[in-house]
Amino acid sequence: MNKLGLIIYREWITRVRRRAFIIGTLMVPVLLALGVGLGAWLENTEMEDNKVMVVDLSGMITFWDDSRQAYLPICSECFPERAHLEYRFSDIALDDDEFLLSDFTSMVLLDDAILQHGQAKNLYEKSPSIAAQNTIERDLSSAIERFKVKEELALDYEAYKRLKTKVSLIGEDIITKDGNATERSIVGFVFSLFMFMQIMVYGMHVMRGVIEEKANRIVEVIISVVRPMELLAGKIIGIGLVGVTQVIALTFLGFLVFQVGGQALEISGLLTSSTNEAVELDFETWMASNDLLGFVLEVNWPLMVVCALGYFTAGFFMYAALFAAIGSAVEQESDAQYLMLPAMLPLFASYITAIMAIQNPEGQVAVIGSYFPLTAPILMLIRLPLGVAWWELVLSLSGVIATAYAFVLVSARIFRTGILMHGKKITVRELFRWVRHD
Amino acid sequence: MPTAPALDISGIEKRFGEQCALAGVGFQVPQSGIFGLLGPNGAGKTTLLRMLNGITAPDAGSISFFGEPLTRGHLPTIGYLPEERGLYKSMRVGEQAMYFAQLRGLNKKVAHERLRYWFDRLEVDGWWQKEVGEVSKGMAQKIQFILSVLHEPRLLILDEPLSGFDPINAQRIREVILDLKARGDTTILLSTHDMGSVEEMCDEVALLNRGQLVLNGKVPELREAARDGRYAVSFRDTAMAFTVALGASAELIEVNPNPEVPGEHVAMLRLPAKSDISTWVRWISEKVELTSCTPWRPGMRDIFIRAVEQQQEPVK
Repeated sequence: MNKLGLIIYREWITRVRRRAFIIGTLMVPVLLALGVGLGAWLENTEMEDNKVMVVDLSGMITFWDDSRQAYLPICSECFPERAHLEYRFSDIALDDDEFLLSDFTSMVLLDDAILQHGQAKNLYEKSPSIAAQNTIERDLSSAIERFKVKEELALDYEAYKRLKTKVSLIGEDIITKDGNATERSIVGFVFSLFMFMQIMVYGMHVMRGVIEEKANRIVEVIISVVRPMELLAGKIIGIGLVGVTQVIALTFLGFLVFQVGGQALEISGLLTSSTNEAVELDFETWMASNDLLGFVLEVNWPLMVVCALGYFTAGFFMYAALFAAIGSAVEQESDAQYLMLPAMLPLFASYITAIMAIQNPEGQVAVIGSYFPLTAPILMLIRLPLGVAWWELVLSLSGVIATAYAFVLVSARIFRTGILMHGKKITVRELFRWVRHD
Repeated sequence: MPTAPALDISGIEKRFGEQCALAGVGFQVPQSGIFGLLGPNGAGKTTLLRMLNGITAPDAGSISFFGEPLTRGHLPTIGYLPEERGLYKSMRVGEQAMYFAQLRGLNKKVAHERLRYWFDRLEVDGWWQKEVGEVSKGMAQKIQFILSVLHEPRLLILDEPLSGFDPINAQRIREVILDLKARGDTTILLSTHDMGSVEEMCDEVALLNRGQLVLNGKVPELREAARDGRYAVSFRDTAMAFTVALGASAELIEVNPNPEVPGEHVAMLRLPAKSDISTWVRWISEKVELTSCTPWRPGMRDIFIRAVEQQQEPVK
């Protein structure tokens, strides 16, 4: 192995074998899987059995059925059969003791005031889940709506339902014919957030590594054997590969979790149709049919992963070179703070712009930001899932690569002088002098 | 045909902004000996050593390495132990030694064999698997020393190699350095402030001060040349009796009890010009019991201090 290879290998192996790296990398998909599993479990278990007594004090939504000797809803379809929710109706409220002794979990009191302010009192011993409350509210709203339509407007409720219209915007790119833009920009945001974190974390690794070598005075021995440029390049490539290793590991683990988790969910029978809970679905169909997750399958993942790796490599070189220059110019990490701020500013600006760009990924700020080399690695990834013209991608990535190259050259000049400087406060003017000095 | 010196340093100049680190320094380091590079702090020694290692380049002047202009191509044949030295704390000792050995151009097999030899010789073989953060400072110093000699360099540059060692380990390292010298295939450039080591180990020295060469030559010759007519006289009597007996026959510089021989004193004195030492010894022996009288040769410490103090104003 040549010297550059040795340096790259040392930088890489000493980091990837650290317990913190292994645990950290393994924990991300595990936490993700736990999060998804917990969500699914909560969604399922949150709907504990609810038995609700609806007390219709004004007789708006119920009638007395002699044959069954019970109050029944006028609009039976407004209160469909549900797995964890059962209604009983009455015209008289239970007093507190009776309620506590009964098997009802909550008691809703309806009087005609609801027509004015739209509120009904819900009494309970233990608060029902948010999901259960939402369902009860939806059911009662339908029943009251029916009453209003019939009583106040004298309309046929079925006719009203036919007239009632809800408009949803189904987005589609006129060129790519792609839809689900906003949802997919969330995928882009997740990528850009990950990119931001990777560049920050591993850029800091480079800076710390340089400071360690400088403070420990190892650097004097190393650069008597290799050129400062080789040491810098080896350090940046080696640490960058740690980031790439983590990305590859996470991709693999993510895929594994996706597959295994999907299988587990299928076997558990938790994946049911949103329209009919009795129908069990396979994982992919469930994903595709799920309003929140369906768009995940529409993203061009290979393009995303390749572009993410390309932007990570170039973007990391760019920022790592900056951080290395800062590390070489200071004695200890605390001294680096005032130099870090201007270096981090574009990164933070990209992150803030990225948050705004979720709502408007094709907005002017996001588009310009995706061309500007210092912000492009983060902002282009937001736009990418929506479809970006190839020339935009080439322009943006070339800009990042060219800037990264220029940064490495400038950084190398600062690095080779800075790493041997001790006991001297370095000014920005001095840094410029090092850059000019050949 | 005479052998080319290991190093021929000529007219070296180096400035850092307004600061002149080296102002036309030149001297030769002969092959196969130990050459001492001396000087007070800030004299320009580290700058010169960094030039020899290709870390910095001179503004002017030239350096020849065994008869050839020094280039980066020679660096694999140079070993360097800097004064300020460290190791990667999160790496294991053996792994780190292998890393540096391979950076020095050794293949894995040779590196492993030589490391085993040196680890055994300097008694660090039990530390191969330990992390550097776990080893003592002295142990780390030994590892750093091993890393500088491992590739059997033609020129070995040692900057304060004994600092940080306890007396036993310092002696062990001293023996290794002398052994390397005895083998004859390594030229050693020793930069140190320990003048005892210089007298014990160095054949020749160069003394830098404020970026200039102020003294250069073989150690015995420098000491001989620095003689100033002083004699060390040992006697069995009281200091007062000796002072009275001496009268105006010689200038008494100091007199102290001899710590090694109870009841004996050692006086340092200088005879007047044109005085004959043997006549004076016969004369004084009639008054006090003399046990020895030897011409005093200044040590390297005295030579160092005198040379630095005598130097002119700093170079602007």
